[in-house]
Amino acid sequence: MHSINHECTCSSNPLIPHVCQVTAIKQETPDVQTYRIQTLDGQKPFSPMPGQLAMISLPDVGEAMFSITAQGEDYIESAIKNAGQLTQAFHEMTPGQQIGVRGPYGNHFPVDDLKGKDLLFIGGGIGLAPVRSLIRYCFANREDFGHIDILYGARSPEDLVFKEDLSLNWPKEKDTTLHVTVDRGNETWEGNVGFVPAYLEELAFSPVGRKVILCGPPIMIKFASQSLMKMGFAKEDVITTLEMRMKCGIGKCGRCNIGSKYVCLDGPVFTLAELDELPDEN
Amino acid sequence: MQLDKSDLQEALRILSAEAGVFVPSVVEGVSRFALWDGESSIDLSRVNTELPPKDILFPQTEKMYSYKMGKNIEIKEIIDNPKQVVFGIRPCDVKSIGCMDKVFLEKTYVDSFYAGKRENLTVISVGCTQTDRTCFCDSMGLSPSDAPGADVMMNDTGDTFVVEAYTDKGKQVMEAWKPLLKKGGKKPAAPECTLKVKMSPEISVKLSKMFEHPIWEEVSRPCIGCATCTYVCPTCYCFDMNSDNHSSEGTKFRCWDSCMFSDYSRMAGGHNPRPGKKERVRNRYMHKLSYFNERYETSLCAGCGRCADKCPAHMDITAFIDRVAEEEMENA
Amino acid sequence: MNDTLEIKREAQLRETARRLLEDGTVGYIIGWGTTRFEDKTAPLFAAKPEEADRLVWNEYCINSLAKYSLDDKYPEKKIGICVRGCDSRAVNRLVNDKQIERENLFLIGMPCSGKENSVCEGCSHKNPVVYDILIGEPVEENTEEKASAERFREIEEFEKMSPDERYEFWAKQYDKCIRCYACRNICPACSCKECYADQYMVGWQGKQNNRAESQVYGLTRAYHVGDRCIECGECERVCPMGLPIMRQTKKMLKDINDLFGNYECGVESERAPVLGEYDLTDRDEFM
Repeated sequence: MHSINHECTCSSNPLIPHVCQVTAIKQETPDVQTYRIQTLDGQKPFSPMPGQLAMISLPDVGEAMFSITAQGEDYIESAIKNAGQLTQAFHEMTPGQQIGVRGPYGNHFPVDDLKGKDLLFIGGGIGLAPVRSLIRYCFANREDFGHIDILYGARSPEDLVFKEDLSLNWPKEKDTTLHVTVDRGNETWEGNVGFVPAYLEELAFSPVGRKVILCGPPIMIKFASQSLMKMGFAKEDVITTLEMRMKCGIGKCGRCNIGSKYVCLDGPVFTLAELDELPDEN
Repeated sequence: MQLDKSDLQEALRILSAEAGVFVPSVVEGVSRFALWDGESSIDLSRVNTELPPKDILFPQTEKMYSYKMGKNIEIKEIIDNPKQVVFGIRPCDVKSIGCMDKVFLEKTYVDSFYAGKRENLTVISVGCTQTDRTCFCDSMGLSPSDAPGADVMMNDTGDTFVVEAYTDKGKQVMEAWKPLLKKGGKKPAAPECTLKVKMSPEISVKLSKMFEHPIWEEVSRPCIGCATCTYVCPTCYCFDMNSDNHSSEGTKFRCWDSCMFSDYSRMAGGHNPRPGKKERVRNRYMHKLSYFNERYETSLCAGCGRCADKCPAHMDITAFIDRVAEEEMENA
Repeated sequence: MNDTLEIKREAQLRETARRLLEDGTVGYIIGWGTTRFEDKTAPLFAAKPEEADRLVWNEYCINSLAKYSLDDKYPEKKIGICVRGCDSRAVNRLVNDKQIERENLFLIGMPCSGKENSVCEGCSHKNPVVYDILIGEPVEENTEEKASAERFREIEEFEKMSPDERYEFWAKQYDKCIRCYACRNICPACSCKECYADQYMVGWQGKQNNRAESQVYGLTRAYHVGDRCIECGECERVCPMGLPIMRQTKKMLKDINDLFGNYECGVESERAPVLGEYDLTDRDEFM
């Protein structure tokens, strides 16, 4: 497991949220929005490591854990899919809305272990969100890493998140290749059509000197992992991030355990080798 | 030192001048720890209260903060940590507080709500003179007459209690009781639990290899998925966080939750990693007897027997432990 | 309880169960088995013929069994269930509520002269009202006088209290409720796939434990069960805090009996619950 960042700018009580504000909202897909979050005096709420989480709340509606998708000098960002009552309320927000934030929580991607390696990012649907923080970290520290491949798939062209990154920003980065696929195309789609695991096998990446960062719906993770094993990747070299229902975020409330590990505290980032040691329950 | 039983009321009166004193009593037919009003009877006749004392430190509903919505959100922490004493708590329940201490005070984060209450709580244990048929604390490595985690340990010798202080908080109690205490007193021999269970560290390790074992399908079948076992359990600490909302303001509270409930681990999209009773019963037993041991190096069961006594379907953790002990490992 | 008769009945039950498992009539049988405590039995699921001998029949066979069939709605073979009078009414309840298919069940009728359970005192159906095979001879039913005198005895006492006294009574009871939902989960009339109390939403049923929220739960549960209560008393038996929950549905049943004539739920498999059917002669002065 990786070291934990203890930083928390909230009250000394880790369960009390810090009031922050949403300063910009971007519509990524019909059901995904990215929120830029700043403190009330325009500062960054905290400086997370890639892969860490934040508890975001509207106190009268609810609170839930989200991955932090990006950060800048004075902000953090989170991309959130409309999937329930709380996220529906988020989607009705306008800039200036105040929200509760606490964190950062959990471990983070093992950036030191990735240095000097070629990297293959695999994302499915909203699963690109947690990975994006690491992708941005890698681009910000470009010399530390080898070739970067980003394989991303969504149900349809409309469901692709971070379209600007995919079509404009990331292709411009040096030594970087993007592979985008959709389950079903449309009349204007010219890219690949097919599921992520199939496209992955077609692209036939070499496991030599390469680490994989994998995130997406459980079914995609399952089949993509199988494909990676077939291609000769070691389980130690495939890193994923898990999602479980969480309430406290600090390893107390009990519900996000897998065996004796708590996803909110010991996770959410695990290698497939580490997951093999845990009960198959997620 | 010893305290005459006839001086017990006076002893508690001394403590209640400084703190709220919880004693085992019967409230509306339910045996539980309740705030002593200076007169109400103290029921030490039962081995264990029906409800565990955990709500003194970890209330079933605990307000965390109040909020006001609007253009500006206001959030105000609610701090409620009165000075309290719990008297008459049995060694198994003291061990349970030790388990909760580990959860709430260790491993990266300190839970402020718990820490505040814990800091202000003095624990006065009274050892058991007899055991119930569902008691099995001595199989879990405890003694019915000694609670190492208590501040003060008392044991019944008939007309008196032998009193010993284990901590500084305990010494303060002894100091306050000075006028009532007499020298001498011999600690009586501990009673023995009649129910012997084959618990051992090996069981924890064995269980960790039994996640896929067919035993879960079988033992979980009678479970009706209620929270009785978890709510009468002195160590079950899982909680939910929720709001009591009135228009644009309200209170955020946490409350006991149960891993036996179907919605406990269900996620917003509907996916549930523990979809059925097999997975849920497995999680509870594993948590008690294996996962917790792995994380905190002690078991999350103190052997109080309340779950075995109260389960509507008459499921019994002691029978389960013995089943595991007998299970041939090649099946695991 | 005639001991020799009941010992004989246990032997007959085991013999029948073994045969049913051997010849494949049923996939498994839900009955009662021993625990490590002499005065407690637990639901037993016997799937192999040799497990038939683990079935017991004694005064401690208390747990209601019919609802376990909901765990297996599409069984490969029929599910054998031991049914006393109350269990058989529970089966009718579940079939009538379209929760299970009658043809998926094989009902092993267990005439029952009462268990170590106070609810059995005024039992009006000691013999199962529906079964596929009956184990031993039927037992003698309580006289109608005894059953009906016992049925609402407590309610008649209760009705003598003033509304304020009754409110005070229930307030104190619900101060004790720990909201474990055992009463709901054990009840054969509580079969919603998702209970309103578990709705993944803020505001339906507050999760905070206090008098108001617990009373809301208690009231909602009672009204929802209402005319579908089969009077098995399981809710009250399982309540770890000893709330006299049966009084709520019994009060409603008493009112229903006063308003619509003699009514017992789950006795006939085809009859809809009384508040679920409309009859031109129904009283309608409230309209």
